Amino acid sequence: MQITGMSWGAKLLSYVGFPTAKVLGPEATKEAIQAVIDEFGGVLIKPIFKGGIGKKGKAGLIGKATDVYTALKEKERLYFAEHRVGNTVAKAEGVTFESFIPCKHEVYFSLTDNTQFRAPTMTITHRGGVDIEELPKEDIAVVPFDPLTGFKGFIVNNALNKLNAPNEIISPLVQNLPKLWDLFHHYGMTTLELNPIRIMEDAKGRLTPVACDFKCAFDGDDPNMERLGLSKDLFNVELSAYEREVNQLRTYQGQSDVFVINPHGTITAMTFGGGANALVTELLGDAATISSDFGGNPPYAKMKDIGRITYNYWLKQSNVLFIIGGKANNTDIYETFRAMGDALREHFSTHGPTPLYVVVGRGGPNLVRGMGYLRDTLDSLGLPYRIFGHDSAMSEVVNFAQAVDEWMIKGGRQQIARKLGISE
Amino acid sequence: MSKQKVNAELNRGFNYMQAKGEVKFPYYVGIHSLMGIATREDRVCVLNILGGESRTVTPVSHAYSGGNVVCGTMPGRSGEFMKTPVGNIPVYNNVLEAMDAGHRFNVAVVYVPPSGVRDSVIEAVRVNPELKKVIILTEKVPVSHSRMIRQYCQQRGVDVFGANCLGVADAHQHVRLGGALGGSAPEESLVPGSVAIFSNSGNFTTTIATYLLTAGWGTTVSLSSGKDVYIHFAAPEFTHAFHNDYRTQAAVMYIEPGGYYEHDLQFDKPVVACVVGRWKAKLTRSCGHAGAIAGSGDDAEAKERWFMKKFGVDALYTLENPVCSAKGAVVTNISLIPQALTEVMAKHGIKPDFPPRGNLELKPWFGNNQGLELPSALSPPLVQAIAPYDDQIKLLSRQVGTIFPRQTMKDCSGASRMDPKTQVSRIHNLSILDASTRTFEENLVLSLIREYPDATGRSLANVALNAYVNQSGTVGLAAADAARAAGNSPNTVLAAAVALVGPREAAAAKQTITVLLDLFVQSGLEDPASTGFDFSAQLETAVAQEPIRAALLSDKVGKRGKIMFQGIDARGAGSVFINFLRAFAERTGGKIRDDVLLGAICCHLGWVPLLRKRLSVTTVKNLPWHFRVYSTLVGSTVSAEHQDEKSYRGVDLGELASSWSFTETAFLSLFGHRPADQELFSFSVLLGLIITNGPGTISAQGAKGAVSADGPEVPDRIQINKGYIGFLTHTGYAHGGNGYEAIQFLVERFRNSGLEDPANPSHGLDLEGMALAYAKEYGGYKKKAKAEGDLNYEKIPCINHPVFKDKDVNYDPREVFVGELFEKRNDYNIFQDFYHKLVHALHKAGVSKKVYCVNVDAVIAVLLLKMLWKSFSKGEISDGVMETAAFTTFLFGRMMGSAAEIDDHTNRGRNMDTRTVASQCSYAG
Repeated sequence: MQITGMSWGAKLLSYVGFPTAKVLGPEATKEAIQAVIDEFGGVLIKPIFKGGIGKKGKAGLIGKATDVYTALKEKERLYFAEHRVGNTVAKAEGVTFESFIPCKHEVYFSLTDNTQFRAPTMTITHRGGVDIEELPKEDIAVVPFDPLTGFKGFIVNNALNKLNAPNEIISPLVQNLPKLWDLFHHYGMTTLELNPIRIMEDAKGRLTPVACDFKCAFDGDDPNMERLGLSKDLFNVELSAYEREVNQLRTYQGQSDVFVINPHGTITAMTFGGGANALVTELLGDAATISSDFGGNPPYAKMKDIGRITYNYWLKQSNVLFIIGGKANNTDIYETFRAMGDALREHFSTHGPTPLYVVVGRGGPNLVRGMGYLRDTLDSLGLPYRIFGHDSAMSEVVNFAQAVDEWMIKGGRQQIARKLGISE
Repeated sequence: MSKQKVNAELNRGFNYMQAKGEVKFPYYVGIHSLMGIATREDRVCVLNILGGESRTVTPVSHAYSGGNVVCGTMPGRSGEFMKTPVGNIPVYNNVLEAMDAGHRFNVAVVYVPPSGVRDSVIEAVRVNPELKKVIILTEKVPVSHSRMIRQYCQQRGVDVFGANCLGVADAHQHVRLGGALGGSAPEESLVPGSVAIFSNSGNFTTTIATYLLTAGWGTTVSLSSGKDVYIHFAAPEFTHAFHNDYRTQAAVMYIEPGGYYEHDLQFDKPVVACVVGRWKAKLTRSCGHAGAIAGSGDDAEAKERWFMKKFGVDALYTLENPVCSAKGAVVTNISLIPQALTEVMAKHGIKPDFPPRGNLELKPWFGNNQGLELPSALSPPLVQAIAPYDDQIKLLSRQVGTIFPRQTMKDCSGASRMDPKTQVSRIHNLSILDASTRTFEENLVLSLIREYPDATGRSLANVALNAYVNQSGTVGLAAADAARAAGNSPNTVLAAAVALVGPREAAAAKQTITVLLDLFVQSGLEDPASTGFDFSAQLETAVAQEPIRAALLSDKVGKRGKIMFQGIDARGAGSVFINFLRAFAERTGGKIRDDVLLGAICCHLGWVPLLRKRLSVTTVKNLPWHFRVYSTLVGSTVSAEHQDEKSYRGVDLGELASSWSFTETAFLSLFGHRPADQELFSFSVLLGLIITNGPGTISAQGAKGAVSADGPEVPDRIQINKGYIGFLTHTGYAHGGNGYEAIQFLVERFRNSGLEDPANPSHGLDLEGMALAYAKEYGGYKKKAKAEGDLNYEKIPCINHPVFKDKDVNYDPREVFVGELFEKRNDYNIFQDFYHKLVHALHKAGVSKKVYCVNVDAVIAVLLLKMLWKSFSKGEISDGVMETAAFTTFLFGRMMGSAAEIDDHTNRGRNMDTRTVASQCSYAG
């Protein structure tokens, strides 16, 4: 859940009074753009992307204008610009007009939770405006601090002194950067990065740090971010319809994390446990429709809903329904298998049968009762199946599911369809 | 100045803030050796001990660890106990209260919901200076809270494990702290040995321990670290303690992408690292573990390289290329761990702890090709499961029917539910709209066996229900008549009769089912309607056993038995069980007892779903009791003057059993005549619509409360008839009797209209004119009442609905469904027509801004009034009779839903689970 760019960044920074470049949205009138040009000497035109977009691949995606005509021309060019890194493509939805900020110094600043210190940590350099990885390490200060007392001016002061930063920028940064702790800690962020902060001189020669680019990541488990009233659309762009529907079931008992891997996949794996998720997803590759983790002892009703939604989206195209997990510690196998079995039976009764081979690998509490229930359900539906205990290697069970998938592709599916009395 | 130096100086103050622990670390770590991570001396307080997860896990942990949980907390539950196999654990409102009660503990285990974790931990640490370990099981703890927990516990010198972990366990010391490592049978996985496990995945901690057994490796400590952004007790701390534990000769580390926890590790003992998640590099957000999302340089491939460098190997360990050194090996698949570990240890000359236990080959426990021809690789033969699962599978094959897990069923049902969007309720996942197209007897059976009976089942049900409907000469009918004479409402009258259908009334039939189940469950009988089934073996067994003879036989043919045999023959309803009883009587020369036939019919009805494990044995054994109540409830609506030894409401009892459906009998009971086709259809629809409104409805709550109070955890003690009394006492003039309001309203509109036949579309009445005239009259009344400040003015019954109200013209989809049902049959109803004209007229007259819907309650009123109109208009029945008929019709319909709730709660509920805790009750004095 990330936000990049000043379109939203300026709004968030305004909550804590951190100065930003003047930012106009795509709806800005000619007069408003002209006013910014008059005041600051020009505007930058940047496409608005939803979600997290890195610096990589952004070359050519920033326009520059000192007159309204050029600004609008650049708007036209960048309004639907595409950002492409590898296979990941993001499409812009509008542009911002951001004022020029003349300056002598550019600063990189970020707050994040650093796993080496296991503390919130500031990273700062007075040589900002470039990718931080490009700078010599001795120009960067990485400083953990106490979250109980918060992010204080002295942390900034000490760091800039040690870095031998120009004296004139220290005081403005010491005054302004601590404001960002409020935004970071109290609104559920895990990362906040401003790069560059341009140190602008006003008419009286006073220096002010001005945020000219913005990036942050939110913690989806932190209800504090809801206080920002951000539109769900900002993040939903990352989710498919299936993911969105399952995500509505996210509650504290039971994971319900899903990720669509291949909308044309043929193995639908209901996976239990983060570890199993990693292993199964890795081995199945593109044959899988989804990557999932439904562990954490989901109650019957939730598991049945997950089953219902998953079957609705993926069963028709699937050759293999694959239920897989390790030896569960506290997930009740009877409850989860009963829920998935009932959901399958109901799916067949409402949508009609579909050719399917069911492969199961699992261990845990109430195992045999759960397997027995699923066996009875599959028998009553007339579906072929193999159910393995936790004494079969999980990776071997995955291989078995893949072999079944291949057989299904090579005519097995039609065989099952005939057996079920349906046409394929 | 170098980066290290700059940052070391800047961080100096930061590290001064921490408590002092192991000197190796600049921050606080209290655990010196893995031996100290979970000890027999540790004493535990479990926070949120009675929460869903803790309730199943804590008793097992407590028993496994020799009773190390001294207390638990849960706000508002002070004074309660958690039962465990080794004694009760006391519960307090909070940690302070537990300490004031004299409890001392050094470990807090946290099961609190995510938003409360931070505050719970801080409070526990704040008030208990002896607290040294905190284990957080909770998932989805916000990162901002983890920051605070980390720092607070660092300053106070407390080791934190998790969050989102499954705790720690020591197989040598037989202790597990916190979560459920090893599941419900920890001894199976936690076998003492020489290997320590550190795992980012809770599930894999146990799974790896199980896999290691196949190569003969047992464990010392298993540590589930969790994989949030903050791992409080992480790989560096584990490694330090691992080095200091003389028992532990090697470690297995299961590592996922994200975080630099493993970057600087240095090992003094051999390690097998399993690094997974290469694929996760493609993810843009976490899936599964919150912290398993890589930033820059900490993805799976990077971590593989970190470990390969530490071990001095140049490749991953695979089956084809098993690369390892004496320092260790890196695998990416957990099933390779046992083999890799054995090879690494062999380089040290160390052999496994014990002979291998099992192997990891594919071993299907269950399977079925369903007659398909599969390649042999895809059709591996079934294998006997490892102990103790092999015995469980054997038991499973002998288990008859399902066993539902018990849970609190307050406001919860496994039988019914209402969709809040459509307002359409479902019974056993069947919409009541669909149920309303089936007969009363079909729905009566459905409510208990969760599916509709086939033709034979229907016939048998009709025989049984009709055979017992006649109440002549019973004390129940006397009680009902006395209650009627005392002026009670219909529900109270019927409750009096039902009270007398106690457990003894159904005992013989129940016993019959027990006998038949014993005889036939393993016989291979799939469908009792297949009368060709050879039961000679069962017959021989039965004939040879005196207790069976005593249970099934009598010295004379009973009245009801005779009627039932007559009905079964007349309807040609073949059943293996009936044939068996006949043969049994013939062989023994005895006579079949009345209630034995009822038992056999019920056994027939429940057999198929029982074998398919859709029903429990409890349900099937209780079927005859429900049937007796069904018949009693319908039969007691007819007073003693209309039934005698030979006839019921003027119909010969033999004829009832032989040719009447129970729907017809119920109709007869209320209206005094056999229904014509259209009447029968209307009546069935009416009853079907009333079946249920979900578990929240008052009548369902009454039934569920009655079961809950008897204690369903001992299902044999549930008084089924009392469940129905609970339903009946939870109906009344406001719930069930209110249908009459709409009838009254319509009667007022049509009383002097000259209407003769409400089914005749050529009725000659100006309905629109009547509706508009009334709308205007009502508008005037409403205006006046409002002007006078009377906001409790009378509302027109059965129009408008809180859900279906936002369109310009509104419809209640349930009413539309029924309307269309009758339209297809060309079955006109003037009263329904009038209602539709009325809602438009109200809009036209300015009374409503939008056109209200006619709601589903109107359907019930118009159908009923249509049935009664002719008799009423001729003056044959009074307003009072009409009111009783309306109320009783409701009771008939709702009896089905209540039966389902009673049975469901008996099967799934816990003792006294419908009560509301005192903290959620309020005082209005």
